[in-house]
Amino acid sequence: MRRRLFLASSLSALGLAGCGQVKESLTNGPFRNVLLSTEKLNHAVIGTHGMAREYKDSDIDRNFRVNGLDTPSDSTYGALARGGFRDYRLVVDGQVDRPQKLSLAELRAAGDRTQITRHDCVEGWSAIGKWRGAPLATVLAMAQPKATARYCVFHCYDVDQSGQNYYESLDLHQAAHPQTVLALDLNDKPLDLDHGAPVRLKIPTQLGYKSAKWVRRIELVADFKPIYGGTGGYWEDQGYEWYAGI
Amino acid sequence: MTAGVHAGALPSDASHAQGRRVYRHGIAARTAHWTWTLAILVLMMSGLQIFNAAPYLDASDKSDPAKRVLAFDAQNTAGGPVGYTIVFGHRIPTTHVFGYTDDGMGAESPRAFPAWLTLPAPQDLADGRRWHLFFAWAFFVAWVAYLISAALRGTLRELVMRPDDFRKLRPMQLYYLRLRKEPPPHGTYNPLQKLTYNVVLFVFFPLFILTGLTLSPAVDAALPWLTALFGGRQFARLWHFVLMALLLGYFGTHLVLVLTTGFWNNMRSMITGWFVLGEHDGVGP
Repeated sequence: MRRRLFLASSLSALGLAGCGQVKESLTNGPFRNVLLSTEKLNHAVIGTHGMAREYKDSDIDRNFRVNGLDTPSDSTYGALARGGFRDYRLVVDGQVDRPQKLSLAELRAAGDRTQITRHDCVEGWSAIGKWRGAPLATVLAMAQPKATARYCVFHCYDVDQSGQNYYESLDLHQAAHPQTVLALDLNDKPLDLDHGAPVRLKIPTQLGYKSAKWVRRIELVADFKPIYGGTGGYWEDQGYEWYAGI
Repeated sequence: MTAGVHAGALPSDASHAQGRRVYRHGIAARTAHWTWTLAILVLMMSGLQIFNAAPYLDASDKSDPAKRVLAFDAQNTAGGPVGYTIVFGHRIPTTHVFGYTDDGMGAESPRAFPAWLTLPAPQDLADGRRWHLFFAWAFFVAWVAYLISAALRGTLRELVMRPDDFRKLRPMQLYYLRLRKEPPPHGTYNPLQKLTYNVVLFVFFPLFILTGLTLSPAVDAALPWLTALFGGRQFARLWHFVLMALLLGYFGTHLVLVLTTGFWNNMRSMITGWFVLGEHDGVGP
């Protein structure tokens, strides 16, 4: 349904003044698949290599820009926030041998990495923040993913106006990158509500929409097609690329 | 093939070649030319769509309003909404054209570039990116294929600037300005043409690709020197935009010259490959 809506809206959106019909016929057919195929090429050619640049303290944006869906306002999240997230548990489950329910203290004990990296939004802007938390790889290792697991899916507390949950996914190669962290702190303070408290993903080698805020559950799966719109993420379901390295 | 000669087969002999039919552009060059024409049109329009999502350009690595070179803005005033183009902090009202303009949905909205200049027309960053990245590949593949083919055919030699071409730039310019009767003797391309094509093919095109890649966080991680070379990610975004404006200038000049130096002959040569030499046209490097 959402996908049909998206296609309908993008097709109706095509329409260079004067040659809208031409563009529609170009896009409404095999050419759309050709257009979408570029993503695989970009993933294959660029992939995930090297380390994102790490900056100095003086480079940090103290008022780190807030973007994305609204801060969750449901009663579950509200109750957790009022309790200072003492009752928060990060669930790691799916295709794993040892499902986990990790408190913030357990997450802090799992690993400690601090990185000052640039956040590059798909819209075009960049901001620099200091992120501290546990490398995702160490948290995933605690759950011992099965050999069939290929992706980790991040389920989040935030919901858009039509009731659609935010979610994201990474493959295990991207997840294993040392700079892919489950951040608990931003700029030397625990994440505030608007920046994704208590736990958000931070992956500086990909565009900002990959760095899901308000993470509540990490699900290991063989394939993300059965989940929500089937393209591996909230923005992906709206037509953005799953491979967000470019 | 008996009717004409292949370019490059003859030494530069401008004065005696008039009226001769020569096979000037090979199939690879012609395909590349028209691929670029389409690709650059789509890249510019989808690029403006992408630009509209963050309608400002900073000469810095991260976004920094203190280093803002160009921005667009809209404000409500007593007389209605006003769109602004802001160049180095100077606000220029550009309502209905830039800043507050056609949104492609039958109305006007706060929006940097109007819908008739963007692809898709209404605000649609996701599809703008899809079009842009696909045609970036088409552009790149055509560039590499053209360079290989032109090198193998030997036509690249006709195009590349030689040391004595630099001396001929000034007399060629004087000829264009009607201050000189004869152009300096030259081969297939005159020295100004060579310089222009060299700048576009060997400076603009690679810089387009490299500044575009610098906008990619994965490329920045893999090739950090590239980001440093352009002064950071936002600076690369600014260079990418400036290159677009320069290429637009080239495109205007190119069109005027195609129209005024024997339009049909020029068009035929870029469609069939065959070109009829004019009074001052030569063949060869």
